[in-house]
Amino acid sequence: MKQNVILRRLLPALLSLGLALALWYGLSLTVAYTEGRQVSLTGRVIDRHGEPVRGAKVSLVLNGHPFGAGAANEPAPPLAESQRDGTFVVDLPAEEVGAIEALVLEISRPHFKSLQWEAGDDEIARLNRGESLRLPDMELSRRMTVGFWVATLTFVAILVLIALEKLHNTMAALLGVAIILGTTFVGGAVSPDLFIFDFERALEYVDFNVIFLVMGMMIVIGVIEETGIFQWLAYQSYRLSGGRAWLLVTILMLITSVASALLDNVTTMLLMTPMTIQIALAMGITPLSLLIPEVLASNVGGISTLIGTPTNILIGSYAGLSFNDFLTKLTPGVLLAQVALTVYVLIRYRKQFLVRGGELSEALLNRLRESGRITRPAKLRKAGLIFGVMLLLFILGERVHLVPAVTAILGAVAMLLWVTPDIESMLKVVDWTTLMFFISLFIVVGSIQEVGLISIITGVIGRLVGSNLTMAILVLVWSAAILSGVIANIPFTAAMLPVVGSLTRTIPGASNQVLFYGLSIGSAMGGNSSLIGASANLVTAGIAERAGYRITYVEFFKIGMPAMIITVAIGTLWLFIRF
Amino acid sequence: MGKILCATRGGEASYRTQDAAIALARERGDELLFLYVVDIAFLNKTERAVRPDVVTAEMEKMGEFLLAMAQERAQKQGVVAGYILRHGDLGEELKAAVRDQHATAVVLGKPAGDESVFALESLQAFAAEIEAETGGQVYIL
Repeated sequence: MKQNVILRRLLPALLSLGLALALWYGLSLTVAYTEGRQVSLTGRVIDRHGEPVRGAKVSLVLNGHPFGAGAANEPAPPLAESQRDGTFVVDLPAEEVGAIEALVLEISRPHFKSLQWEAGDDEIARLNRGESLRLPDMELSRRMTVGFWVATLTFVAILVLIALEKLHNTMAALLGVAIILGTTFVGGAVSPDLFIFDFERALEYVDFNVIFLVMGMMIVIGVIEETGIFQWLAYQSYRLSGGRAWLLVTILMLITSVASALLDNVTTMLLMTPMTIQIALAMGITPLSLLIPEVLASNVGGISTLIGTPTNILIGSYAGLSFNDFLTKLTPGVLLAQVALTVYVLIRYRKQFLVRGGELSEALLNRLRESGRITRPAKLRKAGLIFGVMLLLFILGERVHLVPAVTAILGAVAMLLWVTPDIESMLKVVDWTTLMFFISLFIVVGSIQEVGLISIITGVIGRLVGSNLTMAILVLVWSAAILSGVIANIPFTAAMLPVVGSLTRTIPGASNQVLFYGLSIGSAMGGNSSLIGASANLVTAGIAERAGYRITYVEFFKIGMPAMIITVAIGTLWLFIRF
Repeated sequence: MGKILCATRGGEASYRTQDAAIALARERGDELLFLYVVDIAFLNKTERAVRPDVVTAEMEKMGEFLLAMAQERAQKQGVVAGYILRHGDLGEELKAAVRDQHATAVVLGKPAGDESVFALESLQAFAAEIEAETGGQVYIL
């Protein structure tokens, strides 16, 4: 009984004590949390097309004072920088901030007008309660600086210099880099309006996937091309054709197309052209009736794989398209275009193909046979095996996230270790000039992206096509095809990638990457419309001229332009069917 | 006996020059040499990786084929002709070949339409240059 009384009196006391302890503990916990806590301001910086803006500096003016500055008259130092997706996070330690009365966020970035965002009463109250804020998207407006014009004119000048052959491509691109970085570092010190981008940002634009894939394939092709396989294939076509020119051209077009798809169209044409000229002379037909169809087929065939053309390498890397993506989504369309091209060529050259030349002497036939033999059979066997494995890796590697650049490097190393274990040979087959061209080109294209030229082009195309995907495909494919005939298609494609990327994100239904495939078709097939449209055309013309057969601009245009229209029309049709 | 050097490439336009050189050699009883110059300067027009050594080898084979055709052409007309193949710039190599071979005459093809690399005026100027530098007589036929 007495125990019950004690318990009855003690229990409330214990409960009261417990409650008091709990309250005290809870309170102390809250205090502790408040003392160590920080609130965050998160947001996203976009341009007026809704595209994320990377590298915008975010600073804060708190209660009328620049936050983090040493003195009140100093500008507020940046607290955060927007990331690739445009997002930023500003962390505010509570003990440094204290009670917030007014908060202004300042967002600045070169080539954009600075933006200020002021927190309202509600937001300030939430911050004072310790709540973090998710801010509305901050839209920055572009500002055309002097740097904009320097970068734009430099890019245009590079295109002109390359088109007019006034400078080597690599030299032109390097000159562009020098102008852009020189303007940034020398001019930028004089006026902030001359700033384009710093060296660190410039390097961020270099796509090393492309560099390593190009370098790897360079070594692989460099080893294969000295085996005589191209010349052997050309000679076998001659033998198979049995003197029928129409059959010969059909086989040669097929071979150049496949070789261009798997290796490279410039290499293919460089090695096929001398042999083709000899075959044509042996058959008594004009070499141009074989060479022009070959180069047209080469330019079309190269599009069917990721590694077939540099433009596809650029597109694949930027858009994340795999070897299989090109194989399944583009190759059937390319095959259709190839069939149509062959029919066109047979009709176009029907008279030349009916001409029968005189008999070739035994001595000349022997020379032809000698030119068309495999020069290094043992090397070809090894190189062929490695290349076969590489193709398998290109196709199957996707399953284990093996990127094409790594496959190319693996293949290149295998070639060098097993087929050509010679450091001198290794250095000989890597064309550093080409790699420098790509690196410089990435930087120059990065500069026009940075200053907003790409954004302007995107805006113009966006307004033209609206949200109509069909219209977007038509405009992109045909404008790429036409422009590729007059300007170098590699710089053009590199510049168009961010434009197409933006359109892909904004146009409904374009998320299947159809516009990237359209760019591939337009930029590569468009090269057939003029002699300067593709490197393969120029090297073919160069060799033909040295054999006394000049391919004039007009002659090439007369044959190439209809070929371009036919193949691009079929390519466009394929895109509509497939996507 | 003199020595005639005929710079040639191939193609229909070259056949006319070759025939003229063959006729001149027969008429003067001179030795005839055809010259082909392997020039890979056109590789500068590509930004793509190429192996100049492999391309040069292919151009040599093509050049020898074209020279052999010219040789056969001469043979059919009763003239025994030889040939030489050089590498580099056509103009410089032609002058060097005249000096090296002690050629007494040089035959150049007259420009004919689109197939020609040179205009007649520049070819005449080039001929005068060869004559001044080497002492060989130049025929533009």
